[in-house]
Amino acid sequence: MKASLRWLNDHLDLSAKSIPEMAALLTAAGIEVEGIQCPPDHVVVARIESSERHPDADKLSVCQVNDGGATPRQIVCGAKNYEVGDHVPLALPGARIGDMVIKTGKLRGVESQGMLCSARELGLSEDASGLLILPRDLPPGTSFAQVHPPVFDLEITPNRPDLLSHLGLARELSALTGIRLKRPPVFTSTAPGRAAKSSEISLQDRETCSFYSARILRGVKVGPSPDWLRDKLQAIGLRPINNVVDITNFILMEMGQPLHAFDLSLLKGGIRVRRAGEGEKFTALDGRTHLLTPDDCVIADSKGAQALGGVMGGESSGVTEATTDILLEAAYFEPSLIRRTSHRHGIHTDSSYRFERGVDPAQVMAASEAAARLVLELAGGQLEGVPVWCGELPSTSVTVPLDNALCRRLLGSPIPPAEIGRILKAFGLQKESDGWRIPSYRLDLRRPVDLVEEVARVHGLDRIPGKTTAPFVPPSRADQEYDFRRALRTRLGHLGFHECQTIKLISEAQLALDVATQHRNLSPLRVKNPMTEPHTFLRPGLTPSLLRIAEHNVRMGTSDLRLFEIGTVFAASPKGQPIELQHLALVATGRLEPPSWRASKPDLFDFAALRGLLEQLCPGQAIDLLPIEDPRLLLAAEIKVGGGKVGLAGCLLPATARSLDLDQPVLVAEIGIKKLMAALGSPSLFHPLPRFPAITRDVAIEAPADLPGQAISDFFQSSGEPLLESFRLFDLFVDPTGTRLAADRKSLAWSLTYRSATETLAAPQVDAAHGRLLDRLKAALPITFR
Amino acid sequence: MLEDLEQIHRSASNEAASLPDETALEDFRVRYLGKKGALTSAAAQMKDLAPADRPAFGQKLNEIRSAISAAIEERRASLLAARDARAARGIDPTLPARSLPQGSLHPLSQVLDRAVDTLRRMGFALAEGPEIETEWHCFDALNTPPDHPARKESDTYYFPGGNLLRTHTSTVQIRTMESASSLPVRIIAPGTAFRRDEIDETHSISFTQLEGLFVDREVGLADLKGTLEAFFQVIFGSGTEVRFRPHFFPFTEPSFEIDVKLKTVGRAERWVEIAGCGLVDPAVFAAVCQSRGDDLFHPDRVTGFAFGMGVDRLAMIQYGIPDLRLFNENDVRFLRQFA
Repeated sequence: MKASLRWLNDHLDLSAKSIPEMAALLTAAGIEVEGIQCPPDHVVVARIESSERHPDADKLSVCQVNDGGATPRQIVCGAKNYEVGDHVPLALPGARIGDMVIKTGKLRGVESQGMLCSARELGLSEDASGLLILPRDLPPGTSFAQVHPPVFDLEITPNRPDLLSHLGLARELSALTGIRLKRPPVFTSTAPGRAAKSSEISLQDRETCSFYSARILRGVKVGPSPDWLRDKLQAIGLRPINNVVDITNFILMEMGQPLHAFDLSLLKGGIRVRRAGEGEKFTALDGRTHLLTPDDCVIADSKGAQALGGVMGGESSGVTEATTDILLEAAYFEPSLIRRTSHRHGIHTDSSYRFERGVDPAQVMAASEAAARLVLELAGGQLEGVPVWCGELPSTSVTVPLDNALCRRLLGSPIPPAEIGRILKAFGLQKESDGWRIPSYRLDLRRPVDLVEEVARVHGLDRIPGKTTAPFVPPSRADQEYDFRRALRTRLGHLGFHECQTIKLISEAQLALDVATQHRNLSPLRVKNPMTEPHTFLRPGLTPSLLRIAEHNVRMGTSDLRLFEIGTVFAASPKGQPIELQHLALVATGRLEPPSWRASKPDLFDFAALRGLLEQLCPGQAIDLLPIEDPRLLLAAEIKVGGGKVGLAGCLLPATARSLDLDQPVLVAEIGIKKLMAALGSPSLFHPLPRFPAITRDVAIEAPADLPGQAISDFFQSSGEPLLESFRLFDLFVDPTGTRLAADRKSLAWSLTYRSATETLAAPQVDAAHGRLLDRLKAALPITFR
Repeated sequence: MLEDLEQIHRSASNEAASLPDETALEDFRVRYLGKKGALTSAAAQMKDLAPADRPAFGQKLNEIRSAISAAIEERRASLLAARDARAARGIDPTLPARSLPQGSLHPLSQVLDRAVDTLRRMGFALAEGPEIETEWHCFDALNTPPDHPARKESDTYYFPGGNLLRTHTSTVQIRTMESASSLPVRIIAPGTAFRRDEIDETHSISFTQLEGLFVDREVGLADLKGTLEAFFQVIFGSGTEVRFRPHFFPFTEPSFEIDVKLKTVGRAERWVEIAGCGLVDPAVFAAVCQSRGDDLFHPDRVTGFAFGMGVDRLAMIQYGIPDLRLFNENDVRFLRQFA
């Protein structure tokens, strides 16, 4: 809503308030000031005394203008839309127009002592077609700030349609400042009119339009509006059309009641307010044709729809220069139905905007009367008969009790009843025996809590002391989960991983990269109304997005990457129920440490490093990686922590890695947070520290190349040898050429540690245990010792 | 015989002081004190002596062994001292590091963690709810009119069955009150919200919100103000001015928007909109009662306040990040800045 300060001044004297004070006042009352259009300083009214062609430029003129000073001022100007004698805005040297500071200078060799301005250059409208021509009664030298006082661009919240007019804003400002209104807070209608005959108005769609009224004015002379009216409309960004249309727009912005004027001669038969037929065509004032539906309400004559009710008039019956007789419509439309029609057809007008939010039912007739009076005054003609109407306006008689206890409870500090009464009265509420009578324009005040809101708004939160005491609330399951995820995040950060956060909607193509989800029997969820293809499916896993991030970073020149994300993944159960789970995903590729002069060729992150990482994430837990077949991965393994499956780890197919521009191993893992939390859930218990020294024995085992290393470690793990404390693989040797070792064999060197909890072991004891163990190993697996 | 011992002692004493390194020293030790060393072989001769001479010989032998051991230790100490003195030689401390990979937490996580820490200290517990929601939880229960624009398919992501992606975390208010077993309810709920929107510098299709709710028998504007003022003064620094501007939300009455006055170095002071809040609308309590089938949250008996803020916005302000898209791009050059 654009509000002109000068227009507001018609209603109350705001001259004592500065612009910043006004802005602060509006802001504090909950009316957000989105912008203030304020003409630049050093701009004055000037009269063009002469205009000659620039000697060296066909498109420029050299003007002598009267700026109110004793001598004329010379200005070089490129516009063509003026005549000598016109009054126009002149930016004097020092004025700031847009990003430019005006200076005296030469244009093509001719001195220009300022600049004549268009409306756009002054930030008044988008009109840059020529100079802004001003009324000639403005004396040259008048400061432009007086010609165009500031205009506020206000955001009115949807609960306050009463503020969508200058009268409404003036009422609010009066209530907030105590400055008296110059006129009564509401217009009243003097001519009640009569009920319309069905031949005059047939109100068939009372659901959308509960009340419809019409006034006939004949012999009207349509023409340009007087300057005062044009100025008022232009100041708030409306384009003057003709006096009749301008008057309806003026009343709209003055009182908030949309009106429509039809050319009576173009209507056949009486007004019919009805639902549109399926596919009925309607060409609106803006020339666009819309196909209507039976959910739309139209104002029709016997030929067809002449207006889309409450939204926009039609092209075929609008007021033009040729119009002499008009029918002035004033009606009340049901907000929700207007909103639907307006959204259905994408037509958003000042009229629909107000009907959607609700207009003041008590002012419908008064607005039409005020408009008719102005038409008679500015365009002549005469009223035919009395206004006619059909239907019923919604009741505005509402009384709301003020609940003092509620007031105290919600405000948290006592506000004296007298102060509460003063605030409510200022807003036009009247005290009655059973509560407060609400003015017709305050559709938002319906419940006791709404009155408390009004008091709080004016009293201001800054006058209520803040309270910080509160009851104790125990931590929740969500707290535990958050803390677990946070500990995981922190640990991964310390391990050199960057945390990513990606958008949870992904493309269909990305689903193919979902290599690591554990719920493959579930189907991914597609949104019904995706906006763009890249955001169509809710991600069933985090890996696809992380790989996309890896790709981006590779393109940006970083191919040593350690990325992770923790977040929600989604799927539909076989029965179609949505499932949401928390996952952790990792992507690691590139060098294990940044290359430096100390380590110029660091090893690459590989599967063993991924395993090491998982061990660091789950300290003290046995990690098992059980190889599984997955055609989408070069290597794939189920991750078990402490015996429970928690997720999947793998290495991308080289082809997939190359598609990300990576010619190196790319390791991925995706883990269910709940499962991991369960696996890591129990707190560690103390184990006594060994008191006696350990003895180690090494053994080199030669095995078939395809024997999993796990087979050997599993043997040691479950050997039951009481003295065996731990075992560690310290070397792996293969020789593809077959010279030092057959190509289908591998050699694994293990270091075994023996220790007793009760004594210092002697070498023979260890040798005996070692021998026993190796004998059993040889019997259990197809291996030899080297 | 004693002569021989003296001879060994003399040559050992001379040699010990000039041994060049630790290897030579060890070699020396073996030559004199080892199993086949000079002193050991000399000791073996003791059995050839007359018994009367043996004590004197033994005593001399011990003296010399001690002396040589001492000489060895002395020489070892001086060799170690010389090595220690050389230890730092050739090391150039001005050379660049051999560094380990450095990770980072996402700036949104860091900002959220800080907000969560602060509110937990103020006695809030965490709560959560599904991101795929029913229209009832997302709109109806939150007093949103049936034809409200936010419900439209042009603004909100829907699923074929009628469910939707929640457009705000206020759904968790309803979820929490539905399942609460007693008063008070004092929760915060961080989470993702979705809007069907074009992605640009300041818009995305999803963002992180932090929701809060406190419901009890006597919760009013004083609690709302005290809590949020204290919160934002922790986040933006003590003494930060916080202002509550009346506003409108369907699910609170009265409603406010919260602005904080930012004092950024090199910029003029400015008010920045940071959150929305208000007292829970009685219609919301009524919806919860209807869903629960009891009166625990009867609008005549309980009151409460709720607030919500955009974590993305908080992070943009705190770190001076100009473009929302950077958060989801996850360029490691960006992420590293917040390590």
